[in-house]
Amino acid sequence: MMDQLVRQYSRSPHQNEFYSEQEQHDLTEGLPPLSLKFSLPPVANHSAFLRAMTDDHSNPNCPIKLAHGTTTLAFRFQGGIIVCTDSRATAGSWIASQTVKKVIPVSRLSRGEDKPGSEPVPGLLGTMAGGAADCQYWLRYLSQQCTLHEIRHKRRITVAAASKILANLTYAYKGYGLSMGTMLAGVTPQEGPALYYIDSDGTRLPGNMFCVGSGQTFAYGVLDANYRYDLTEEEALELGRRSILAAMHRDAYSGGFINLYHVKEEGWVHHGFNDMNPIFWKTKLEKGEFSNVTSEL
Amino acid sequence: MADRYSFSLTTFSPSGKLVQIEYALNAVNQGVTALGIKATNGIVLATEKKSSSPLIDPPSLSKISLITPDIGMVYAGMGPDYRVLVDKARKVSHTGYKRIYNEYPPTRILVQDVARVVQEATQSGGVRPYGVSLLIAGWDEGVEPETPQAQKGDEEEPKKATGKTGGILKGGPSLYQVDPSGSYYPWKATAIGKHATSAKTFLEKRYTEGLELEDAIHIALLTLKETIEGEMNGDTIEIGIVGPPADHLLGFEGVEGSRGPRFRKLTKEEIEDYLTSL
Amino acid sequence: MSSPFDINGGACVAMVGKDCVAIACDLRLGMQALTVSNNFPKIFNFAPGTYLGLTGLATDVSTVSDLFRYKVNMYRLREERHIAPQTLANLVSSSLYERRFGPYFVSPVIAGINNTTGKPFICGFDSIGCIDFAKDFIVSGTASDQLFGTCEGLWEPDLSPENLFETISQALLSAVDRDALSGWGAQVYIIEKDKVTQRLLKGRQD
Repeated sequence: MMDQLVRQYSRSPHQNEFYSEQEQHDLTEGLPPLSLKFSLPPVANHSAFLRAMTDDHSNPNCPIKLAHGTTTLAFRFQGGIIVCTDSRATAGSWIASQTVKKVIPVSRLSRGEDKPGSEPVPGLLGTMAGGAADCQYWLRYLSQQCTLHEIRHKRRITVAAASKILANLTYAYKGYGLSMGTMLAGVTPQEGPALYYIDSDGTRLPGNMFCVGSGQTFAYGVLDANYRYDLTEEEALELGRRSILAAMHRDAYSGGFINLYHVKEEGWVHHGFNDMNPIFWKTKLEKGEFSNVTSEL
Repeated sequence: MADRYSFSLTTFSPSGKLVQIEYALNAVNQGVTALGIKATNGIVLATEKKSSSPLIDPPSLSKISLITPDIGMVYAGMGPDYRVLVDKARKVSHTGYKRIYNEYPPTRILVQDVARVVQEATQSGGVRPYGVSLLIAGWDEGVEPETPQAQKGDEEEPKKATGKTGGILKGGPSLYQVDPSGSYYPWKATAIGKHATSAKTFLEKRYTEGLELEDAIHIALLTLKETIEGEMNGDTIEIGIVGPPADHLLGFEGVEGSRGPRFRKLTKEEIEDYLTSL
Repeated sequence: MSSPFDINGGACVAMVGKDCVAIACDLRLGMQALTVSNNFPKIFNFAPGTYLGLTGLATDVSTVSDLFRYKVNMYRLREERHIAPQTLANLVSSSLYERRFGPYFVSPVIAGINNTTGKPFICGFDSIGCIDFAKDFIVSGTASDQLFGTCEGLWEPDLSPENLFETISQALLSAVDRDALSGWGAQVYIIEKDKVTQRLLKGRQD
């Protein structure tokens, strides 16, 4: 009897020393079978159901209100890539947060904290527009894939490849109600400065300039009017700031703090996370812009 | 000649008169005399209640009517026309005022509304003018603050107990007459009907500034006595007063901010008490 | 989101103090997410010391304010006196109920001092004229949930005019900073007996 129990509950200490064949397969094969990793609602048509539950444009009374509304922009210029975003998260008209970090560093080498100095941090930058959870989750997932890529291939992933991982992912989940509009920016030896737009429809576009989010039109307005490829670094940073400022001002669902990044060959540099309000009044009073706003009774 | 213009109500005679209105005034001047006197703290309306037959039950007859809790009305002329106007006045005080502002109209506003009804009957086809003149008496709360009034008022009007002389702004008592033409006049004291002229002459002699309500009731009875044809008692005299709020008529008590009607008719017993002290 | 009350955005609040009242509104006029104007006051004067605030659908805010301008002008001509805040409240109530089955999409707020009694008065309404008499404060607009919170937290009885101004300003600015559809500056009226102070608040411009 005792022997039986001992046999039942004790194992050789070396029994699990090796990965099983299945585990080895999971670790070495690129993408796990994604569509089976999430539990789906027990209804006939998942995608239609999810849309009805979460899309407040087609159904204003939808029970699940996702954090929405953003302005993000990124553009290429002679000195690299400028990435700039607002920081507001809204659920309906409720402002859920004014301090969202919508620029997400992607890839292993960029995991270091923001340093007080302006020393460049190597790696890719991703931006976040649309569903906050979707963006956060999948950019972290992308980050893992980039790290794995670097381990496997002994060199950093290209922006093209990274964006393709994300685009394949969003395409696989097309119709399931994912909501994201993302830009990936990075400088690699193979590509130089590269900028891609990826969204939840499965779109993947390379380009020089993108604005994404509910305030995109306002940002494009300023950006198009003043953009040149040969902008100086200072001019480019100011243009990014000014474009986001315009969008924050006119778009109800954008606002909060201006988050500004510069991606260059050595890596990205953070140029502050600053409250828009003092910048707005400074711009108005010192430069005479925003004359539509009354400052006197 | 006058006959040619007297049929159509809305046709002027060559002399510029609407003769049907003049005829309506004649009907008023054959009516039983009614009078009103304004005092500093109230108003009295009084009239004779004449019954054509001793078989009539006097308490069922009523010539003085409540329009709003603070406004009352009496007439001289055609009784049926008066009844219609009482109905219309009560109705317009609600549809044209209380249902909109949740308060009763000031006296002048009600007088204007009634005068409009009367005037419309002088300009519409297929109708005749009302054969009555009205005396409308009411008390207004007024909108001016009370405190500065008492401080300022002592130089100009030292004898008055209150600064309230009537009207929407200051508040207090006001007395109006409305004629078949639709004209209206404010009075300190006046009379309408058969003996209006002699009654007014009498009132001119007896009226003094700063009259109190009790004095006014006394003068009203004296004036009626001059013109009355029959006996004067609680059955043959009708008196309505606008005075202090009659909280006992409210039907309930203990509700903060509620106030009884200022207008009420005197009972037979009250009238007889006044008559004995005449 | 497509409720007529939420299309244009806007917020209004009224508060009672000691022998004074205050009423304040934001200045935004939007079309959904797009801010069209930063200068759309929602408070209107109808007699000395008597103010009406209107939030909701902007076209109805204009129409209703014009309608009451007409009605109150007619009242003043007819009665040769200014309308009292309480009387205006009943006029607003009966006028809105007249449109019971096709309402104006507005949430009115009244603040004033009764000239006769010298007492402060505030009240609010739903869009079909139900009056909400309150002794402390009244809120309306797309930021009303937030305003309930800020007012509940900041208001206290018997505030002086200066403290009332501070309180209503902080309550409004804090509330609209958490509402995407309100803000972009604010207007405040402090009403005392025989004195009204109007101030413009520089709010966040996002």
